[in-house]
Amino acid sequence: MVRRYAAIAGAILVTLAFLFPVLYMVSISFKLPKDIFTVPPRWLGEFTLDNYVSYFHQARILPRIVNTIIIAVGASAISMIAGSMAGYALSRMRMRGAGVVGGLILASRAVPPIALVVPLFLVARKLGLTDQYITVILAYVTFLVPYVVWLMRAFFRGLPKELEEAAMIDGCSRFGAFFRVIVPTSITGLVSTLIFCIILAWEELLFALILTNDRAVTIPVAIAGIAADTEKGGMWGPLAAVGVLTVLPVVVFALLVQKYLIKGLADGATKG
Amino acid sequence: MRRVRLGEPGTAWLFLTPALVLLAGMLLYPIFYTLWVSMSDFDLATFQPTGWVGWRNYEAVLNDPGFLESLRVTAVYLVIALPLQMVLGFAIAFLLNVPWRGRGVLRALFLIPMVVAPVVAGGVWRMLLDPLWGVVNYTLGLVGIGPVEWIGDPVLAMASVIIIDTWRWTPFVVLIASAGIMALPGDVYEAAKSDGAGRWATLRHVTLPLLVPVMAAAFVVRWLGAVKMFDIALAATKGGPGNATNVVNLYIYEKGFRSLEFGSASSMATIVLVVTMLITFVLFRVSRRLENRW
Repeated sequence: MVRRYAAIAGAILVTLAFLFPVLYMVSISFKLPKDIFTVPPRWLGEFTLDNYVSYFHQARILPRIVNTIIIAVGASAISMIAGSMAGYALSRMRMRGAGVVGGLILASRAVPPIALVVPLFLVARKLGLTDQYITVILAYVTFLVPYVVWLMRAFFRGLPKELEEAAMIDGCSRFGAFFRVIVPTSITGLVSTLIFCIILAWEELLFALILTNDRAVTIPVAIAGIAADTEKGGMWGPLAAVGVLTVLPVVVFALLVQKYLIKGLADGATKG
Repeated sequence: MRRVRLGEPGTAWLFLTPALVLLAGMLLYPIFYTLWVSMSDFDLATFQPTGWVGWRNYEAVLNDPGFLESLRVTAVYLVIALPLQMVLGFAIAFLLNVPWRGRGVLRALFLIPMVVAPVVAGGVWRMLLDPLWGVVNYTLGLVGIGPVEWIGDPVLAMASVIIIDTWRWTPFVVLIASAGIMALPGDVYEAAKSDGAGRWATLRHVTLPLLVPVMAAAFVVRWLGAVKMFDIALAATKGGPGNATNVVNLYIYEKGFRSLEFGSASSMATIVLVVTMLITFVLFRVSRRLENRW
């Protein structure tokens, strides 16, 4: 009994320790410099929204959030369509060379983005496509598609074959069976994969740093800029405020669908 | 293995086409482009690779102490951070597995650090670890330690990067480990109990061996993420002080996009690509073998 309570207490403490940096960030985002730079540190100071207001206009944070949403949703949508179709083909259909193609798609998950960065930049520059949504979206597809294929292949394998066989006996084509039968029954897997994609795209830094410089700048790039300014001091409040706004939607999203998210994560890792 | 009935190879290729076109255009083509740039002279006036120079860029980067140092730094980070996160992750998963009412809530809360963008994580931890105003140093000061120069000292800066990375990624291991622990078959434990096995004996001889496949899988996924690490180091330490936390991705980025040395950046990227693919291949093999053995 004592053991059990000790374990529960330990679990709560560890969880709080892991949450502390996030709570600290929230606290700083609502404080004035005079309450941030103090010894001992203060949890609560004079409440202010200043960090969310004054800096935001100047750093154009809101347009950057919009950019990030457009890019994350666009890249995720394309990757979901292409990736789940490929994942389906690899999980169900047999054809010559399937093993090789599947292996290559999955191996592409291990390609470090740094190996793509120079050509993507040079080609985008040559075509006059730097600083445009479509360029960043297509760059993100390189790591999202392999991810979707990986997760959805594992998911489709878990579905009974009778599902689409029944539909195809009723006269559906393979495409019809996929879109009318498989997609609706896989909604949970598709949604959790989509959420992973959006999160991964939402926080991506390297490609965005290289492919954008003004109009299409995403929020991680903006944050990296603020973080660099922090060295000069005084920028803690604004950095924390942007951090809170960046993290908040994703946290809400993740908590809303946590059950599927955890299952998807675990399946993706172990059934790959 | 090959089944004839669901053949329809044409349809299968149609399903694969969108993904293949995207990956060929955005992944395969850029890789060959990188190879080409890595073997040529890069002309900054026309912004194009010009003359073929063979292995010259490779010779140059292999003699570049900065590149070798960044490889060493990356290796240190990987060798410390990955095992640390695996051990912590599984230990916490066992703690969280004790059944009680709040278990689900704690598991859900563990998702939060995972979805904090790495740049934000780096920025927040920079504040936490600040030598003057940071909470960490204040707390250490209470017990008479410090002030500690977290970001300013080469060794501690690496420790900081590893701490931040571990904070963000341990929850991922925890979630995978939790799923693995919950899926353990109950009857094995009955058997162990009736054989008189104690708590530790059960853990060592029953639980851990059963979890080996999950561990292997979690490790591979964590490896795939860790070799791409870039943003945490950029936001927290900018690779400094000196080159103490300059992981290879950061070093290549700076060579390419700050010094505009695209030729050497491409040769370094190619080397990193080859090494990563090789290690990943080996890890996959080992992981598959472990999964089949248990």
